[in-house]
Amino acid sequence: MDDLSKSSMKFFSDQQLCFADILLPHEVQARIQVAVLNFLKILSSPDPAISDLPLINRKSSNSRVSEGILTDVSWIFLSHSFCSRSLMKANATKAFIRVWKVMEMCFEFLTQEKRVTQRELFYKLLCDSPHYFSSQLQVNRTIQDVVALLRCSRYSLGIMASSKGLVAGRILLQEPNQEAVDCSACGSSGYAISGDLNLLESLIMKTDARYIVVVEKHAIFQRLAEDHVFNQIPSILLTAKGYPDIATRFLLHRMSRAFPDLPILALVDWNPAGLAILSTYKFGSIGMGLEAYRYACNVKWLGLRGDDLQLIPQQSLAPLKPRDLQIARSLISSTTLQDNYRQELAVMMQSGQRAEIEALYFNGYDYLGKYLAKKIVQANYI
Amino acid sequence: MDISSVQKLCIHLISSAVQRCRLSEGLCRLSVVLKSSPPIIRVSISDTGTGSCLEEFQDLKCNREGIGTEKWDGLLSIKTTSISDNKIYHYHLNLRGSVSARRLTRLPSIPKNDAKFSGTEVCLSISETIDALLKDIKHYFQKMLILKIPSVAAELVIERGDASGLRCENVFLPNECSPLNFSSSNVERLKSGLEEYVLKHRNSLNNKCDSCFCSREKLKISSGVASSMESHRSPGLIVEAVIAISELSESLCFRSSGNKTEVLHFKDFSPSSVSIASLNALTSIDWRSYGLTLVSAVDQVDHALIEWESLPPYLHIDMVIHCYHKQYPGKYKYQPDRHLIKKGVKLALDDLKEKHTGLLLSAHAVKICSYAPDLASSIAGIILSSNDLKFRSKCSTLLELSQSQAIGKQTVEDRIKEKIISVIETNDRKPEKIKEAAPFLFEDDRPQDLDPADLYLEEHAGGDNVFSFPD
Repeated sequence: MDDLSKSSMKFFSDQQLCFADILLPHEVQARIQVAVLNFLKILSSPDPAISDLPLINRKSSNSRVSEGILTDVSWIFLSHSFCSRSLMKANATKAFIRVWKVMEMCFEFLTQEKRVTQRELFYKLLCDSPHYFSSQLQVNRTIQDVVALLRCSRYSLGIMASSKGLVAGRILLQEPNQEAVDCSACGSSGYAISGDLNLLESLIMKTDARYIVVVEKHAIFQRLAEDHVFNQIPSILLTAKGYPDIATRFLLHRMSRAFPDLPILALVDWNPAGLAILSTYKFGSIGMGLEAYRYACNVKWLGLRGDDLQLIPQQSLAPLKPRDLQIARSLISSTTLQDNYRQELAVMMQSGQRAEIEALYFNGYDYLGKYLAKKIVQANYI
Repeated sequence: MDISSVQKLCIHLISSAVQRCRLSEGLCRLSVVLKSSPPIIRVSISDTGTGSCLEEFQDLKCNREGIGTEKWDGLLSIKTTSISDNKIYHYHLNLRGSVSARRLTRLPSIPKNDAKFSGTEVCLSISETIDALLKDIKHYFQKMLILKIPSVAAELVIERGDASGLRCENVFLPNECSPLNFSSSNVERLKSGLEEYVLKHRNSLNNKCDSCFCSREKLKISSGVASSMESHRSPGLIVEAVIAISELSESLCFRSSGNKTEVLHFKDFSPSSVSIASLNALTSIDWRSYGLTLVSAVDQVDHALIEWESLPPYLHIDMVIHCYHKQYPGKYKYQPDRHLIKKGVKLALDDLKEKHTGLLLSAHAVKICSYAPDLASSIAGIILSSNDLKFRSKCSTLLELSQSQAIGKQTVEDRIKEKIISVIETNDRKPEKIKEAAPFLFEDDRPQDLDPADLYLEEHAGGDNVFSFPD
């Protein structure tokens, strides 16, 4: 009885969900046009004013968790709390205008049916309006403002995700009308994941792997790929070279849907940043909360974990840095973290130390592969 | 009242005469005659106002440090009559007399023979150069013109008793640059007076300067009146402030005084010195909300001098403050009220801002306006890069532009920019408390349970075209 009532509550909580639609270019243009028309209407009305831009708050105070009932997947989403950007507020005027400038530029790209990366957009804006845009971070944030305003995904705006991710292992990927690529034969660099979500959507995937291993660092990915670890234990290796980007998460999500029996295991450093990366794959992020929830996957923590510390020498432990503590604090305050993860985090904090996966090399260069194999076989993941 | 110089003495006597004229009903004449037979000047101040009472003159104190005996012997010859009197009283008053009883000498009265009039004549002899005296008297009269006291005609007659035997007359009448009728309020008169003063380049010309003020727009003037309630403890005070802003494209006539403003002060219908209360009031106003920054306000004896941080080069500000009792002659000691003065000046500033868009914009508004071109450019860019004709025509309608296809980006941009600036300026005029939050761009974005996606697709009502994620 208790479960039932809890479950009906969860359906109601879904109504709090705010999401960004995935739209076709002309639909996004329609939304931008509505924005302009509303602005002009209010500007020319008998009681004229300069309208504020209502943006969905991308803060933890506006984040909620949806916990999977029938699946093991939970995700973070944003609810209906708004903040507004106003022209009249002295320090926020530029931010207000930045939103309009990005909308203008995206509108142009959509008309021309071009796709750009965030980096290209940054340079174009820098040339066009140097007074308003000074850094990539500012551009990225403004893009998220536009997403929050128009409630359409970043990709729908014509902005391609970066292509950071790599895939290697026992999977065949085929772009339409192209040859299939065997990712086990790609060498240590693997197959580069495109930033074009449409393209990723259209990939045909075939695999005989039994596991998907998500690796935090590029160096580790390369080592594992070179050693053909994916042949010893039939698996697919995936990395985003650090903090996961939308494209990598998109592909991982597709894989998890296409091959639901494959457990997804994460290999990250033993520090708060590693756990944060794992959390992002698992639950999504607040920064891109309007879209990210779609790509949450049930990722399990393989290593490094607390009980692996006995495998590495004392000298390889380093002290936690202030940034680590910052990340740890925000993880602790997040509602999504499950208890066993919290315990791991607590041990990290108490010991005040961190360890990198490379520390395992102390036991020999091939130790990593063995370690991986052993843990997988023992189902030693949480 | 302490008199410290013969000029001040003369001015004081003239001022009293003006007040007497003001109080009487009907037209009055005030005459100041200076008969110069060097080294003596015989000064005669006569008016046809209400009769004076002796206390006025007996209250004058003349100490040895002020006016030296060589300048004035302390004697005043007074002839006065009120309308109800049947004779003209004649006195000699010796203000330097040590024994009060011997100060006043009554002389035989002059019968009026049933004629109905009132007036006063005060005569004294002083030893002073005529030019020094003349300068001060003329200055006084010119200032008095600002008040535009109705019904007083003043004349200044100078008879030079030297070989040329010249006699010249100056008549000071309020010039009617803008029509005033008899029943105009005091503040209307003050406004008119300041307007004339500024149009004549601060009384350096005899007539208004047509080359600088070729259009009415060049001079913007407004007023504010603040009054306090009467009570048994304090008199009812009225503070009138008038502010004139002139926008001259170039100082054609003379070099303007740059970033400075002279604030003229009047007290009870007479030019006055600057009080501490007034200086405090001026420095405590929040000038930034009017787009001005005050650097200093100093007392320069007959006016306060305000220095601004930076004014646009063509802009000049003039101000006059008049504090007076509701009832005159006041039985109370004059207490200038800082709050009242501040209120009066603020009312005048707000009035100016209200009547003229874009004037005295606060620094904040000016800053925001500087961003208007960029905002307008973005929005115009979106409109013009759209291929949707319906959308573009709707925008043209909203912007009140013609529907032809050939509208250029610059036209659209300029129109949007105009509207944005006008909204900013209008909002700037509203006091802080009334400013409302601006409406949201998408009005429907209130927390509600409706699906936001539906509300946006009004343009393309072609159903659900959402590209669904393959689940």
